Amino acid sequence: MNYIPTTQRDKKEMLRTIGIESINDLVKDFKPLLTTNLNLPKPLSEFEVKQHIQELASKNRVLRYFVGAGSYNHYIPSALNHLVSRGEFSTGYTPYQPEMSQGTLQSMYEFQSYICILTGMDVANASLYDGASALAEAALLCASQTGRNRIFVKDGLHPQHMQVLKTYCNTSNLEITEQIDDKTACVIAQNPDFYGNVENLSKLAELAHNAGALFVVSVIEPTSLAILKAPSDYGADVVVGEGQSFGIPMNFGGPYLGFLAVKDFLLKKIPGRICGMTTDVNGNKGFVLTFQAREQHIRRERATSNITTNQGLMALAVTIYLSLMGKNGLQTIAKLSYARSHLLQQKLDGLGFKILNDRPFYNEFFVKTPKPADSILEALLRNGIHGGYKIDDDKLLICCTEMNTTSDIDNFVTTVKNL
Amino acid sequence: MKTIFEYDEETTGYLPDEDVSVNLPDEITREDLSLPNVSEINVVRHYTNLSQKNFGVDTGFYPLGSCTMKYNPKVNEDMARLEGFIGLHPHSFEQCSQGALEIMWKLEQALKEITGMDAVSLQPAAGAQGELLGTTIAKEYFKQKNEKRTKAIIPDSAHGTNPATAAICKLDTVVIPTDSRGNMDMNEFKNALSDEIAIVMLTNPNTLGLYEENILEICDMAHQNGTLMYCDGANMNALLGITKPREQGFDMIHLNLHKSFSTPHGGGGPGAGVLGVRSFLEEFLPVPRIINKNSNFVLDYDRPKSVGKVHSFYGNFGMLVRAYSYIISWGTNIRKVSEHAVLNANYLLSLLKDTYELPYDRSCAHEFVISSKNLGQKSALNIAKRLLDYGFHPPTIYFPLIVSEALMIEPTETESKETLDKFADAMKKIAKEVKEEPEVVTSAPHNTPVRRLDEITAARKPNLRWQNSK
Repeated sequence: MNYIPTTQRDKKEMLRTIGIESINDLVKDFKPLLTTNLNLPKPLSEFEVKQHIQELASKNRVLRYFVGAGSYNHYIPSALNHLVSRGEFSTGYTPYQPEMSQGTLQSMYEFQSYICILTGMDVANASLYDGASALAEAALLCASQTGRNRIFVKDGLHPQHMQVLKTYCNTSNLEITEQIDDKTACVIAQNPDFYGNVENLSKLAELAHNAGALFVVSVIEPTSLAILKAPSDYGADVVVGEGQSFGIPMNFGGPYLGFLAVKDFLLKKIPGRICGMTTDVNGNKGFVLTFQAREQHIRRERATSNITTNQGLMALAVTIYLSLMGKNGLQTIAKLSYARSHLLQQKLDGLGFKILNDRPFYNEFFVKTPKPADSILEALLRNGIHGGYKIDDDKLLICCTEMNTTSDIDNFVTTVKNL
Repeated sequence: MKTIFEYDEETTGYLPDEDVSVNLPDEITREDLSLPNVSEINVVRHYTNLSQKNFGVDTGFYPLGSCTMKYNPKVNEDMARLEGFIGLHPHSFEQCSQGALEIMWKLEQALKEITGMDAVSLQPAAGAQGELLGTTIAKEYFKQKNEKRTKAIIPDSAHGTNPATAAICKLDTVVIPTDSRGNMDMNEFKNALSDEIAIVMLTNPNTLGLYEENILEICDMAHQNGTLMYCDGANMNALLGITKPREQGFDMIHLNLHKSFSTPHGGGGPGAGVLGVRSFLEEFLPVPRIINKNSNFVLDYDRPKSVGKVHSFYGNFGMLVRAYSYIISWGTNIRKVSEHAVLNANYLLSLLKDTYELPYDRSCAHEFVISSKNLGQKSALNIAKRLLDYGFHPPTIYFPLIVSEALMIEPTETESKETLDKFADAMKKIAKEVKEEPEVVTSAPHNTPVRRLDEITAARKPNLRWQNSK
């Protein structure tokens, strides 16, 4: 394929205008010059590209998923992809010129508003890369705000998010410690936690605040917020999370969406883009990027973060998803996810799967398996089911959403029963 | 146009209406959820109307310097949306994700060949995260060698992300000025090199759109000093198939797949900022690594010296599929991309250099920076706004910071001569307008959905979210 529209005639004229003989005259000083072609495959036509990549895609096997652990299989309405795919949205960049980017800007404003409503926070940014890096950015924010360098993490943080947090903390000279004291910048808790447990964390928030630390809540299955308390109700100063559940396909782990929302007093410490409503010279309502003096292109080494490109189109997808679903739709999804997972848990309980959650759960639960987890997963796989996330040889983390129908659940249970 | 929160309709939703109950204690459940209910037709119209107030590469010429706003081929979109990819759970068993792992492995091989590096991590989600990963790896490398190096050398023309990244990684920045030819000043560079310097972060071609003429010497001197050379690969679109960063002497490079490799910018992401490194740094790359065992692809987490992870899973996979689709379309012909990017930039430069000031009189790489200093203060901003009336997205303005009234123009290879001619005509007309009817320019834009916006009030009286007045 060739995406260059320049004709041979144009090329000659252009070279003449520049005053050179050939393109090589323009690149001759790009030293050291390669003397041979790159060792890449031969060029392919669009037809051949499709054949090749379709074949690769067909080597994957999409299953009936009863696995979550940071990526959730939720229903995506048809209208969403049609809107997100519009070139006016997808082929623009950061709205540096607000006069011709009002579409992106207004949807950013709506995204920020949605995140604030769901989390109960005052201000949200326009997105970060994913839930894990959003959590890491929250730790950096808290360290900067408090001038302290210790991070306390409550048990039950997603292990991959913990790894990302550690990587950022190591490079930024922050220490993850076992106690909360007068050097603690923030206390971090995931809710529902990695094992699915849900709790009211107001006592932990109090502990953090009494030590002068900030309280950070991470929500990585945000459909839970349709029925669970907003983190603001139990004392969060910062809420971060993963927005994938809201209309973003699982897509082998990305692109997803990190969100970050704070109480008003932390506004100027926020990393990334923020959009605000204002008026133009004619007094008409409009939107602009604001508080840009926090950002790298203005503040350089004193910026609140190095983030530039974020997950713009994913934030748009989340905004459209929440608009299509609305209050009623989102509550239905949360209730169905809750009901399906509890139905499966009860049926498995009768088959000797001992529940290990000691608190209520939303749509993910943690069980000790009566037989080796591997043998259970293998039997389910033979029936096209991915039965859970293996935590240990005899422990599984199992998840249901509205996508797991009652007949899927019956298949799961029958397979396990016949093992 | 009203916001989505001003609708109040009745909706039935997208799922079967089942009578299910939730039995959770009050202390953890929510009482109120104040989301709007909007009918599907009104959601579709709302966002379609918003899209029409936007401008993308699909709409018109978008010469935003440093961002490589090239055409985003539609076949890549279709490939990235195949059910075998988008439907795949990231915790899939390896036997169920062979196609995904193979495409990632193949992309790594192609990017190794393009950059000359020995290993590539696809994990960083954007260029700035690639920088963060690279700088973290440099720190870890020196830690293992028991060397205490606390500083990064960064030229004054660098992207803001470079010093911002160094700061997050707790390295102090040593800024090197630019010389009269637009290169990093060699004398200042020599003086700054010391045993405290961990890395040199260099963009090549630099943000002036100029190839660093002393790149081989810079890398040699840095290496003799025990310092690592980091390449900000934002400008790779000038170099594909012409020269390899590894052979220039770089030890690490991040590539922005959303720039050189055509994945759409999405109104500000998602991107992908993959990192390539030389073999002696491979052990530090994040986990998991993709291993090809006789065409069976596995994820390897057993990397004791790895710096950890920067992404929840494996990176922005969907963008990786698009970039792979792009690279195999071009294959061995990929050099044409850069040749035409450089041709287009130099052609446009020759059309404009008599009207605008050229701070460094050299032929450029894939982009160039001109100055409208001769047209007065704030002229770059005014020209940018006036370009909107002519139907063009303006160039990057006021960057790099070392050129006053800077206009940074990157046409990319996907624009025709006709488009470049029309843009040059508009730029010349505006220069004339500045002199003959300045108020037309200073009050621009006139034809956009909104006109100049009050950014001061936006910051002084922040309205950052919808508040229900009821």
